[in-house]
Amino acid sequence: MSNLATATRTLVTGRRGDGDARSPRPAGRRRPWTFERLTPYLMVLPVIAILAVFRLYPLVLGINFSFTGDGELNGQFIGLDNYAYLLQDERFQASARNVVVVLLFVPIQVFFAGILATFIYLKVPGHRFYRSVYFLPVVLSPIIIGAIFNIILAANGPLNGALSTINIPSVDWLGLPETALPTVLVVHIWATFGMAFTIFLAGFATLDAQLLDAAKIDGANLWQQIVHVIVPSLSQTIQFVFVTTTIGMLTGLFALLYTMTAGGPGAASYLPEFLIWKLNGESRPALASAASVFLLAIVLIIGLIQIRVLRRATKEA
Amino acid sequence: MKRTIMTTAVAGISLVALTACGGAAPAPESDSANDSSGGETLTIWNWGDADEAAAAYTEDVTAAFAEEHPDVEVEIVNQPFDQYYTLLGSAVEAGTGPDLALYNGGTQLKSRADSLVPVTEELADLQDQLAGWPAFEKDGETYSAPTFLQGFPIYFNKALFESAGLDPAAPPATWDELSAACEQILANTDASCFALGNKEGLGIEFFLSGFGSGVFTPEEYDAWIDGERDWTSDHATQILQMWADSSADGWYNDGANSTAMFNDSFDIFSAGDSAMVVALMSGTAHWKQFDEFLGDDLGFMMPVTANDGTSIALPAEGGIGYGILNEDKKDLGVDWIRASVDHDALAAYSLAGGQITSDTTIELDTDIASANEIVAELPGSKPLLHTALSAEALDLLHRLGQQLLNGDVTVDEAAAKLAAAEG
Repeated sequence: MSNLATATRTLVTGRRGDGDARSPRPAGRRRPWTFERLTPYLMVLPVIAILAVFRLYPLVLGINFSFTGDGELNGQFIGLDNYAYLLQDERFQASARNVVVVLLFVPIQVFFAGILATFIYLKVPGHRFYRSVYFLPVVLSPIIIGAIFNIILAANGPLNGALSTINIPSVDWLGLPETALPTVLVVHIWATFGMAFTIFLAGFATLDAQLLDAAKIDGANLWQQIVHVIVPSLSQTIQFVFVTTTIGMLTGLFALLYTMTAGGPGAASYLPEFLIWKLNGESRPALASAASVFLLAIVLIIGLIQIRVLRRATKEA
Repeated sequence: MKRTIMTTAVAGISLVALTACGGAAPAPESDSANDSSGGETLTIWNWGDADEAAAAYTEDVTAAFAEEHPDVEVEIVNQPFDQYYTLLGSAVEAGTGPDLALYNGGTQLKSRADSLVPVTEELADLQDQLAGWPAFEKDGETYSAPTFLQGFPIYFNKALFESAGLDPAAPPATWDELSAACEQILANTDASCFALGNKEGLGIEFFLSGFGSGVFTPEEYDAWIDGERDWTSDHATQILQMWADSSADGWYNDGANSTAMFNDSFDIFSAGDSAMVVALMSGTAHWKQFDEFLGDDLGFMMPVTANDGTSIALPAEGGIGYGILNEDKKDLGVDWIRASVDHDALAAYSLAGGQITSDTTIELDTDIASANEIVAELPGSKPLLHTALSAEALDLLHRLGQQLLNGDVTVDEAAAKLAAAEG
């Protein structure tokens, strides 16, 4: 408990650990547990309790389940068998590979949202109109988006129709292993970039307009303004968008996958989240728990790496 | 920071220890069977009524049951179908399951037979009146009575056959004739030969069960149903090859792998954009639905002969039926099952809902020719090949079906994977 409180204090004050906090006290003497000293802990207790009961305990329970069996072995400890099974499972291997593909699309979304926000900020003609239009897909349900793009991307749908008028052969976008997942990811980017776009616009609000004016007076062209003024000023915003976009991509693709490809063809568009759902549907909840632990590990590792990058960038700023 | 991580880890590990080793699914409660009170209620689970006809059938069944047991309160609980067996499994294991539950015949019922009460003796007198029993039998015991039959008949569009220069009165009877007919349809019309939606991978199920009796000998067929399957045998690889070839020869609509089977692919057939389809005989995507669009142009044909020594049969088996979970209410349960196959209730439902009922004494009073032709083939029908497979094997088959269609795996690779998965 006290460690959690210390960690929170460190985050709030930016101080680095116990040494600083203790220094005003005479060494070697413990302070008595007065009511005043207990109060802050009592105040955070409800939140900690809710977190522990509804977040940590189910999480630990899930990890625990992943070491037990399914069906006849329900409740029996089977060690790492579920993990061993997953590692050689075709669908798990495919979903692990696909996580890498998903991560490759993160910079594309960040770049896309960033460059469009820049244009709006620089007040290109019609910027008010585009500002609303870009945000519109965010308010649509992914199921509806999936249904719309199922029609647009169908083998004999309007997109292929348009392509054929300029003599490009039609492609079954959602039915081929090479194109299924990238197509879903592009639709996901289209559907969600509005949020990143809005965060960028908020970042621009904090940007020093005089800097930009100065650059313009010095004769910087658009590209030079972006590279030398806008990007450095927005480094913190960019980091934040990177982290949220990554989490969104790893945990928010289920509805689109479910409606657009159902994981297929074969296992070409499986992602861990979809696999977890499938395994549970096959009455193998313990195996699904093991897959969930893998997903948790992936998100944790990537998240930690990004937080480290974020911290370094903040120091530089 | 390091201390925080350590503390969290220690706390986590101790929590794991505290939870010991509970299972992911709820564990059964030993005394749950004796839990049922003397109160006369009968709790029944199903997945709800799809339409008005189904609702009317449920009312008829409830009324038939109430005639026998006016004092018993029947509580019907509708569960969502996509989570049905997960919810039911959890409830049964936790000892909070219903007294009766609705089951799909074949794999779904047989894999859960351990939790059901056998009613072989109690339903013996219905044996001759109803068809489709094998889907509800395991190891010589009967667990339910089939209410209606499900199967994969092949429907065709007579008008498209005519414009392709084929005789609608004499549909193809062999695989070679079918191949030639497809060539002709593709050459002379704008339609595809077969409508196919394989987004969920279901297409190969329909193909395997739909054409199986023309490929496997009767002995191989029966062995397959009994669980003795050899995926690498000549005839098993042959049917996988036929599936791959049918795609390579362009039989299907564009983008079959990205088309949903329910109901996009059946809409293609209804709209007259494909000449044939392997569809259903009850529930949905059946003769009554197609008749609304195609009318007299709707035709029905039997599977085609691919090998000598085979015996063509309509693939059909018991579709759904109620199983008894609570031993203490066995008598009431048996009467509910009897009510569910009540002659008048089934007769009314068959026509209103487009069902082929299990009751062979019911004369389907319809002028839809394909429905009468299906009923005429029922006595020689055989169980579906795919419902004999395990859930894992079926999922693998779905994925391989998509890959075979695209040419991403070879037939031999697919056969080897299926053989390995089936042990």
